[in-house]
Amino acid sequence: MEMDSNETQPTVVVSSPPGRISLRPMTLSDVDDYMVWATDAEVARFCSWEPCTSREEAIKYITDSVLTHPWLRAICLEDDRPIGYILIMPVDNIRKEIGYVLARKYWGKGFATEAVRLVTAEIFKEMPEIERLEALVDVDNVGSQRVLEKVGFTREGVMRNYIIMKGSVRDMVMFSFLPSDPFK
Amino acid sequence: MDIDSCTRKAVSSSPSEKIHLRPMTLSDIDDFMVWATDINVTRFCTWEPYTSQEAGIGYINSFVLPHPWLRAICLDDDRAIGSISVTPVDSIRGEIGYVIGSKYWGKGIATEAVRLVAAEIFKEKPEMERLEALVDVDNIGSQKVLEKVGFVREGVMRKFMCLKGNVRDMVMFSFLPSDSLL
Repeated sequence: MEMDSNETQPTVVVSSPPGRISLRPMTLSDVDDYMVWATDAEVARFCSWEPCTSREEAIKYITDSVLTHPWLRAICLEDDRPIGYILIMPVDNIRKEIGYVLARKYWGKGFATEAVRLVTAEIFKEMPEIERLEALVDVDNVGSQRVLEKVGFTREGVMRNYIIMKGSVRDMVMFSFLPSDPFK
Repeated sequence: MDIDSCTRKAVSSSPSEKIHLRPMTLSDIDDFMVWATDINVTRFCTWEPYTSQEAGIGYINSFVLPHPWLRAICLDDDRAIGSISVTPVDSIRGEIGYVIGSKYWGKGIATEAVRLVAAEIFKEKPEMERLEALVDVDNIGSQKVLEKVGFVREGVMRKFMCLKGNVRDMVMFSFLPSDSLL
């Protein structure tokens, strides 16, 4: 089920127009940039994780969860430094879920939209068995809902009391993108 | 939460025949085979019609008896005409599913069975925050059952599930402890 993490170095995907963002695997040397968003409570607000509190914790998390992830890419600016990451998680044989996080300083500039568009455009070629790419967004996370809408994801509906997030039961908006869907 | 339990009682329009729910047992095998062999019944199920009583007994032993919450739907004579179940999805979500012999379709029996379960399940499972149901887009009859009980139709999940080799769009419904039965 999981992507072969022993694949040869995944190609760097560059966005158009060139120079905006690129995607590449994350490495331990990204730890300081990682900490910029991982320690930010505003960024962590709708994430399942609590803000990171130390460099040691960050190194451990990157080692245990980021480097081992079947499909995760750093979102980088021109200087190749990460400002966030985007990932694809398996749900079952035909469904994958997309997730992304961005440092707050870079919110509101279209970077997440670009990253989602890039990944969505590539993922069905990389994983031809996938029939559905979906995303679950907290009802209150309007910014992230807009990202998906701008790319062309379909807002399918609000799933009430769908998940527990940090001890609270939350309503989540379900979005999907199919191989046959057009990009906006 | 229990302040509202009296409003959740399974009242309102009763089916033409009274039903009750009880655990299913191996002695229900003959009645099970009536619906389990019926291709009309299995059309939107993930499984193919059963072709041997041996397979039916295997199903009851391996799936029905160990199931955390599964009930036979019975008429007055206590014979099973279908079954209804609530399967945990995770710690807060349960999924309801039901199957009725086609001879008993169109009499409000499934609606009554779902209503009974929706009225009781949150008392039995207080940790449950959401009872959900996934119905094939083409299974209008089953969608109507849930709507008549008071489930909320949340939306169509496109290409959500593989059914007998085809990827299907499914309608997602939910019923919460705070929802009112219709």
